[in-house]
Amino acid sequence: MKKRILSIMAMGLILVPFLFATVSAKTLKIGSMSPLTGPYASDGTDIKNGVWTAIKVFEEAGGMPGYDKIEFFPQDTACDPRQAVAAANKLLNHGVVGVVGAYCSSSTIPSSEVLDEESIPMITPASTHQDVTDRGLEYMFRMCGRDDDQAPAAAKFMKEALGAKTMFIVDDKTTYSQGLADGVEKASKALGIKILGHEHVNQGDKDFSAILTMAKQKNADVFYMSLQGYSPAAMMTLQAKRLGLKSQIVTQDAVFQPKYMEVAKAASEGVYLTYGFTDPTTPEYKAFEERYVPKYGKIAAYATYAYDSATALLKAIKAAGSTEPAKIKAQLLKLDYQGVAKRVKFRANGDSGSSYIAFKVVGDEFVPYWEPANGLIK
Amino acid sequence: MEYFIQQLINGITLGGMYALIALGYTMVYGVIQLINFAHGEFFAAGGYVGAIALGYFSGIGYMDSHPVICLTASFAMAMAYCAYLAIGVEKIAYKPLRKESRLAALLSALGMSIFLSNGMMLTQGVYDKVYPSELFQGRFDFGMVTISYLQIMIVSLTACLLIGLNLLVFRTKIGMAMRATAQDKTMSALVAIGSNRIISLTFAIGAGLAAAAGIMYGLYYGSVRYDMGFVPGIKAFAAAVLGGIGNITGAMIGGLIIGMVEIFGAGYISGEYKDVFAFIILIAVLYFKPNGIMGENIDDTRV
Repeated sequence: MKKRILSIMAMGLILVPFLFATVSAKTLKIGSMSPLTGPYASDGTDIKNGVWTAIKVFEEAGGMPGYDKIEFFPQDTACDPRQAVAAANKLLNHGVVGVVGAYCSSSTIPSSEVLDEESIPMITPASTHQDVTDRGLEYMFRMCGRDDDQAPAAAKFMKEALGAKTMFIVDDKTTYSQGLADGVEKASKALGIKILGHEHVNQGDKDFSAILTMAKQKNADVFYMSLQGYSPAAMMTLQAKRLGLKSQIVTQDAVFQPKYMEVAKAASEGVYLTYGFTDPTTPEYKAFEERYVPKYGKIAAYATYAYDSATALLKAIKAAGSTEPAKIKAQLLKLDYQGVAKRVKFRANGDSGSSYIAFKVVGDEFVPYWEPANGLIK
Repeated sequence: MEYFIQQLINGITLGGMYALIALGYTMVYGVIQLINFAHGEFFAAGGYVGAIALGYFSGIGYMDSHPVICLTASFAMAMAYCAYLAIGVEKIAYKPLRKESRLAALLSALGMSIFLSNGMMLTQGVYDKVYPSELFQGRFDFGMVTISYLQIMIVSLTACLLIGLNLLVFRTKIGMAMRATAQDKTMSALVAIGSNRIISLTFAIGAGLAAAAGIMYGLYYGSVRYDMGFVPGIKAFAAAVLGGIGNITGAMIGGLIIGMVEIFGAGYISGEYKDVFAFIILIAVLYFKPNGIMGENIDDTRV
């Protein structure tokens, strides 16, 4: 009996630091979750850098009233659902008041359940799967677009701009890539594009020669490549060109990353992809560019969305004058301002609208090529 | 038919790389009965040395003027580096445990694997390291069948290395000493064969072959990453077991079979289960021939 009491006391002692961690005030704690290691590390690092930049800018503009400083906790999810849940728990232990993340939809979905249980607002800069906001979670927000908007936009682009009649689809079975590939298949069928095949590869595969040989034999007009991240996409593009695949390669937002061209080099020339439209002429974008580029290099993938997510969160907390979740949420829904990536205005379900257009790879740049409303951009 | 031939070519390219890695597993096992789980890391390290060397050469512009010399130099550097790395690993992690139970050495190998892969992550970063891939970008087209220069280079280089290894093991005195050590360490010591030297040499040769595979892998797939040794390492280990671990010819055949099964499984049945097919074959073969295709106890061919 004595032993048991002792052990309970010991366990209580272990918990003490956590209690203090949550109680101590004066610093505002913000977390981020993204893959900082593994194949998607560069996208994850962009997100971290985006949030970090947002915090710096916010602090320079006066900071948060009532707080001395803002503390930032970047967590690594490795795009692994289990690690993402662990990261979410870690952030809860740190006592964060809001989270920007995660990158992979398959990480965002399970970790958001953990955060939602504690009513911590979470804004994802990059997870596009529809279920991210469709599960009716109270505190889930999304800065980027939705795949059920991206898929019809991609199908329309392939039909109208490329005149595609046949298509071959490959995905790598992640929540995001497979969901999007299925959406594209459905939307394309509705537009009368014939699907000659829909194949799957595994996450982490490097050799795609078998699948590509199949695609080459089918010789579809379009080869739709739905992969999680630029790295497998670059490998697949290289191998496709080497094998002499004649189909036009079209891919999606996860590949929007300058490293794609760095790895695939000449093979990436002329590849199309869909990604949210960002106006690079707004003063907000230019200010971000001046700030971000000297420190981290070229603006890539989801850095802008991460910046907007973090800024939205900080603005909402400031407007609420409190870290109470319900008040933060109310203020988030009231936001309406021009961000870096897009106009920030959340809807009741947490979405902020999509604006997918098609980009074309020219040299080492993604050039806006086509928009759903007006067709070719010139 | 063209489809079949194309897949066959794909399979040979992949299988050849597996065979090169599998040889390291099998040779080390033949000599000291240890599954060297750190072997996949030698493969990754070779890929990195190749990326650094080729990147340097193309940076100073040598790549365009003397591609063959640059490539040869890179291969030599990577193979030498990994050979020394393997000798060091053996001296630090396996030699002190040689008298202990085999399990201790196995655990030490697993630890070494994690250590090396994290070491690469810390020194080289988490990002993909890009290969200068302007090399060998052309291809031959025979109707629907395509063979890239890179595939020809990889397959012919693999064949040369495999033949060279066979000559070394079966036609030279060093090879004879290796085979003798594999059969009986005490007896071979009595006829003045230094088993420590032979064991170091075996590690060095195995790691050198893995390093060559690492560069080919980098050239073929365009980039390398710190964790790239894990999956091919497991596949090559399966290949070594399939061929009969400890048996050199078996490892070559096993590697080719695993590569082919993977490609044909993906090409004819489904891409998402390609790893499953490779391991189903492994299980099926081991069920009927527990010692692998070539058997592990043919003393002549064991190293």
